Amino acid sequence: MLSRSTIDPALSEVAAWDVFDANASMGRSGTRGELALDAPELIAEMDRFAIRRALVGHLAVEEYDVRAGNALLIEQSQSYLDRLEPVVGALPEPDFIQQLSGNPPSVVRLFPTKHNFSCEAWCAGELEECLQAHGILTLIAREELGWDALVSLLRNFPRLPILLLETGYRADRWLYPLMRQHPNLYIDTATYVAHRQLENFVDRLGADRLMFGSRLPFYTPGAALAVLATARIPDEARLLIAGKNLRRLFGARANRQETRNK
Amino acid sequence: MKPPIPIYDCHGHIGIHPDFPAYKADPEELLRVMDLLNIEVLAVTSTLACYNDCPRGNAEVAKVIERQPHRFRGYITVNSSPAGEAASELARWSWFHKPPLIKLHPDLHKSPVNGPGYRPVWDYANRTEAVVLVHTWDSDPNCSPILLAPVAREFPRARIILGHSGVTWRGYHQAIECAEGAANVFLDITGSQSHRTIMEKMVDRLAYDRILFGSDMPYLEAAVSLGRVLTAQISNEAKEAILRLNFVKLLQESA
Repeated sequence: MLSRSTIDPALSEVAAWDVFDANASMGRSGTRGELALDAPELIAEMDRFAIRRALVGHLAVEEYDVRAGNALLIEQSQSYLDRLEPVVGALPEPDFIQQLSGNPPSVVRLFPTKHNFSCEAWCAGELEECLQAHGILTLIAREELGWDALVSLLRNFPRLPILLLETGYRADRWLYPLMRQHPNLYIDTATYVAHRQLENFVDRLGADRLMFGSRLPFYTPGAALAVLATARIPDEARLLIAGKNLRRLFGARANRQETRNK
Repeated sequence: MKPPIPIYDCHGHIGIHPDFPAYKADPEELLRVMDLLNIEVLAVTSTLACYNDCPRGNAEVAKVIERQPHRFRGYITVNSSPAGEAASELARWSWFHKPPLIKLHPDLHKSPVNGPGYRPVWDYANRTEAVVLVHTWDSDPNCSPILLAPVAREFPRARIILGHSGVTWRGYHQAIECAEGAANVFLDITGSQSHRTIMEKMVDRLAYDRILFGSDMPYLEAAVSLGRVLTAQISNEAKEAILRLNFVKLLQESA
């Protein structure tokens, strides 16, 4: 439970939102070491910004090796599972597919550019089939794949929930048609920061597929929270974006698991 | 999330963008957002001038500041090309503000900020103690913050605002270094990259009277900069200076 005394006074209204952050990382960074946070430090920062829970990846997955990074992620998040939902990395390789099928996680993150593979079906189709079969929420940052590759992924796997992170603020001419055509596409708000962009999205496309993202530890959550706080949208839409949408996706997956286990 | 005092915003625009849709970008809509966020004054540049046509763009700014003189201040945007146009634009719109507010966009105009094309502008700015807002970007050959320290030292009476403070994490550090080397350099926090801890670092290294609130509306969402300032771990005095007092002082207006 968050203590009000740890929350920045400017964010008093945020405490009631039950924020679930879709975009956070932890662990050492070889390129941005000054900003990196370990798990307790990340939680202290979440407390200050009234973020109750976060999807958290490990920077060793992104910057070094998926297997080694996943091991660090599991070890370092173990004591904080009430606040941190581990986001494991995956590769289109047989041992990953076997592992994901045997013990499917709630969420994975793919780095096709950094880890040098294609998201097209001829290369990663088996992995993506597995992710879709288990309803695993799949995170990919916009800079990791081209628009056409994203379209193929959405078309080939229409039941795979894809959360596109860090879309940037200039992408609406791509995003609007994609969001209209592909109900399995979601985006986060960390870099969705053009003038009144959030409220325009809600007006045109609704609030159901926007997820609050901070981009901790690199960005301050104060920016994305202020954008959400000052958007002229219904309060229910604000709560959906702050955390309800992400919780709904997790709930859907938990129900599928339960049905499968009966 | 409301600021404790009305904001003076050093970096805004009039117009739309070629590469992404603009929402609620006309001056009346801007005023509604300014009221929502307690932004009292917005200093605007013409986006048309930044991309394509300074004379027409500056004429757009003229209309806006004539209609709403209490809410908008106008930058005269100048291009180093064609030669001679900058001087005539500075003369034509000299009534916009005293001291003059000048905007340079060396990135879009593809001309180095420290090159010969801009020398007449720097001479004018030095002579008139103008406030010059320069678009900057990390290590850019035309507008890196690093290029501006010698310019600032050569033209010490010009007050130079580093627009976006170089944008990236490295760009911010270049901007801080530039400001450390020249007392007439100020840092504008406008930008889409909300680096954690950078506000605190700027205040630590420069003191808060060199940092300015900028929104870049209607390009970027003004709440981004607002959230960064209000939640930074700096004193309330520093927040008030950044949100309002520092730009009021540069404009030579009363607080």
